Amino acid sequence: MPEVPVDVAIVGAGPAGVAAGIGAREAGAKEVLVLERDWDLGGILQQCIHPGFGLRTFKEELTGPEFMHRWIERAHGAGVRFSTNTMVFSMDDDGSLWTMNPHRGIEHVVPKAVVLAMGCRERPAGAIKLTGTRGAGIYTAGTAQRFVNMEGLLPGKRVVILGSGDIGLIMARRMIWEGAEVEGVYEIMPWAGGLRRNVAQCLDDFHIPFHLEHAVLSTHGRDRLEGVTVAKIDAQRRPVEGTERYVPCDTLLLAVGLIPENELSRMAGVAIHPGTGGPVVNQFLQTSKPQIFAAGNVVIVYDLADNVSDEGMRAGRNAALYAAGDLPCGGRRFEIKGGKAVRLFSPQWITDGGDATVFFRVVRPFECRCKVFADHGLFSQTHRYARPGEMNEVHLSARDLRSLDPGVTSLTVDVEEV
Amino acid sequence: MMKRGILKPLGFPKEVGAAPQNDGCLRKDWGAFQGSPLDPPEVTGVTAGNYDVLIVGGGITGATLARELSAFDLRVAVLDKAGDLPSGASRANSGMLHAGYDDKPGTVKARFCAPGNKRYRELHEMLDFTLRPWGSYVCAFSEADCRHLEKLKDQGARNGVPGLDIVPGDVLRRREPQASPHIVAALHAPTGGVVNNFEAVLAFLDNAQQNGVELFLDTEVRRVLLTEGGGEVLGVETSRGIFLAPVIVNAAGTHSGEIAALVGDESIQIRPTRGEYFITDKAIGSMIKSFFFPCPDERGKGVTVARTADGNLLLGPTSVRQGDKDDTATTPQGLAEVMAGALRLVPSIPQELTITSFAGIRAADRTEDFRIGALARPRGFVHMAGIKSPGLTSAPALALHVVELLREELADRISMKPNPHSIPERTHILRFAALTMEERQDLVRQNPAYAQIVCRCETVTEAQIVEAVRRGARTVASVKMWTRAGSGRCQGGFCCPRVVDILARELHMDPDEVTRHGGPSRLLVGHTKAFWQKREAHHA
Repeated sequence: MPEVPVDVAIVGAGPAGVAAGIGAREAGAKEVLVLERDWDLGGILQQCIHPGFGLRTFKEELTGPEFMHRWIERAHGAGVRFSTNTMVFSMDDDGSLWTMNPHRGIEHVVPKAVVLAMGCRERPAGAIKLTGTRGAGIYTAGTAQRFVNMEGLLPGKRVVILGSGDIGLIMARRMIWEGAEVEGVYEIMPWAGGLRRNVAQCLDDFHIPFHLEHAVLSTHGRDRLEGVTVAKIDAQRRPVEGTERYVPCDTLLLAVGLIPENELSRMAGVAIHPGTGGPVVNQFLQTSKPQIFAAGNVVIVYDLADNVSDEGMRAGRNAALYAAGDLPCGGRRFEIKGGKAVRLFSPQWITDGGDATVFFRVVRPFECRCKVFADHGLFSQTHRYARPGEMNEVHLSARDLRSLDPGVTSLTVDVEEV
Repeated sequence: MMKRGILKPLGFPKEVGAAPQNDGCLRKDWGAFQGSPLDPPEVTGVTAGNYDVLIVGGGITGATLARELSAFDLRVAVLDKAGDLPSGASRANSGMLHAGYDDKPGTVKARFCAPGNKRYRELHEMLDFTLRPWGSYVCAFSEADCRHLEKLKDQGARNGVPGLDIVPGDVLRRREPQASPHIVAALHAPTGGVVNNFEAVLAFLDNAQQNGVELFLDTEVRRVLLTEGGGEVLGVETSRGIFLAPVIVNAAGTHSGEIAALVGDESIQIRPTRGEYFITDKAIGSMIKSFFFPCPDERGKGVTVARTADGNLLLGPTSVRQGDKDDTATTPQGLAEVMAGALRLVPSIPQELTITSFAGIRAADRTEDFRIGALARPRGFVHMAGIKSPGLTSAPALALHVVELLREELADRISMKPNPHSIPERTHILRFAALTMEERQDLVRQNPAYAQIVCRCETVTEAQIVEAVRRGARTVASVKMWTRAGSGRCQGGFCCPRVVDILARELHMDPDEVTRHGGPSRLLVGHTKAFWQKREAHHA
């Protein structure tokens, strides 16, 4: 097979991958190749035509394609090479990649460092053990979004949404705009899965009923969906008797969680964290294989695309430094631990070789003043709230880490009411 | 504006010179009818064709018979009311090749199960469907269970099942480390196996069609036409016209009772029995090497844990009698029972790794046995009914049996001369995911569509999907059954829009006409901004 040697190879041209390309070039890598299986660059943001992206990075509200356009322009300017329509179907444990492209056939891309930026996929109905019939009309919200925004096709006219992840909220509004009726959004948790602003802008503004602590018990209709049975659920997530209700609909959209897409990582033997479903990484976004880096939703599912592209930049930069032999390694190692209020966090370990940011999500909403902190007095910040739909950040400086007592081997991040 | 597909049975381009010409359309005297497969016309009284044998039902029973009959110089048609095949029980089952120890000696099931199992092994390479001879274990948790294993072993010996052996629990766990520590002994059946049941049905049908058998989907049999006085069959009246033939085979699965009733035979009474299943992510498929049954009880073989032919785990089924013959909804209770039963056998199954669930209906006759045979009156009517487990396993042996039956008992109605042009082999659509790097490279160089991965989870290429459509796939579900596109861990989340696109392109229809599984199962209800498009068209 033809071999393609590069300095840094990046798998995926979504917000993480494109930014990683820029980061790698800016840090001095010569040959930076981004491999993308789709025909176009941009990843899932291609179909996210709603505004709300880039408030942090560009200080303005952009649509997904606009946001990506800016990053892609910058990447072209920085000399990043892209190979679209190129599927990476296998990764060896040395980080080399097997790719397939209709024009060039199969190639073996051999990089000095890799950045994994494959993003995530949606949890399907079978994973949440949805029961009932299996007629047409049951889609994950992202699939429906692709049909509507990319293909110009309408999945249905009377919609129920299960789960309140951001794509589900966005699709509720989108379906209204396409003339569909949205019967309601049903969420098993007592709080929204997505961003508060999306609840306000996509549900409240359109008078779409939002039913917390409700489940879809079963689907009806053999050929095409005809309705769903919903019910209130108790703390054990069992349906409360007498609350079952039949809701007629022809479409059920699922927004019940995202799963980092790590099939390639597993092939290469990269250690996967059972909590996040993504690679175990340090603050340099380096996985258990030193030459393999990872960034964005493949590591942990983020709330904002800005966080994803930021992380992509850092991973790309570090991969370039690694390729050149300049990435700080060694130093004191600290395990990161999540406190009681923490559901997921990343990175899982850090060293005192550089500053570190720990991202985490909380297990429940804190609708009051609360303190986001790391122990040993390393970091503390007061917030007006902390919500499961939004990431919290803890910033740790290398200097502070170096001054820690020699007995300290782990750091805990957490949230507390104040 | 919309291009409509020509009404096509699962067409396979003919390369066999003298085989009856089938251009994919219904018979020539059907005329120039061109309707969408989505809205079958309500036509009766039009003669759709003359045949020697009509097989009602294109499941595994009808498919295996069609394939055996295609070795003879006969005009054979398979009629099925479904919009894609396999449907019914042949679509939703565990794909297991039972060894044959389960069935009481003396029953029809016992007679055909082990020979059917053997026949699959002979045919799977020739017909190119996936078969895994991984063996099976019946697991005993108690003394009483152990006695039952002895009984099964004895039954197996009488049914001609080779190689049965009872192994102690620790031997089982040495071979299968994930098996429950509570299993005290297990009956090992080395001939137990598993097939991809979609591929098996499609392989038999595909080979039959290559050899001239015609397949008609969306074709519901409504009446059996008899001679005056009702002594002999003449043909059937269907939702798509009249098919004439001196021999009619009832292989209608859960609906075989209704088909029997059309000739006044009320003796076949199907008692639909639902079975629910889970499929897990392939990531844990290699937890076990074969498959596990609990000791059977009066309800059936119990909830099993199997490794599917494609490397997922399959958990199930339940066994619940119900009134409806087509209600394949899953239920919370059923799936909970499946999970509990599976964990009893293999406690370490990660419950969160299920990717889908489904239910199938077993076509159990009230006698709990197969109902095979030709009726004395009307002559020409043959039953292959009551085909429940081990029906998938037994089907190829039943088919051979019915061929002999036709030859011996109905020789006055059809003459069974060999078809000199019949070819016993066929190949499946290339399984790209299973190819070596070099093989993939060669293919991609020949046809770049092999480099277009449509289904990421199962590595299915556009070229394979186009080939599936060429061989007759018309729905998203049939593309899945032909190629596995959409059967992976994301369950079509990424590839469904692409598959819809390819189907619409290849079948010259609008994407919003594409269905999930035929009939009214449209995936989409229209185009966005249809209002504006209409207005623009008006102004233009």
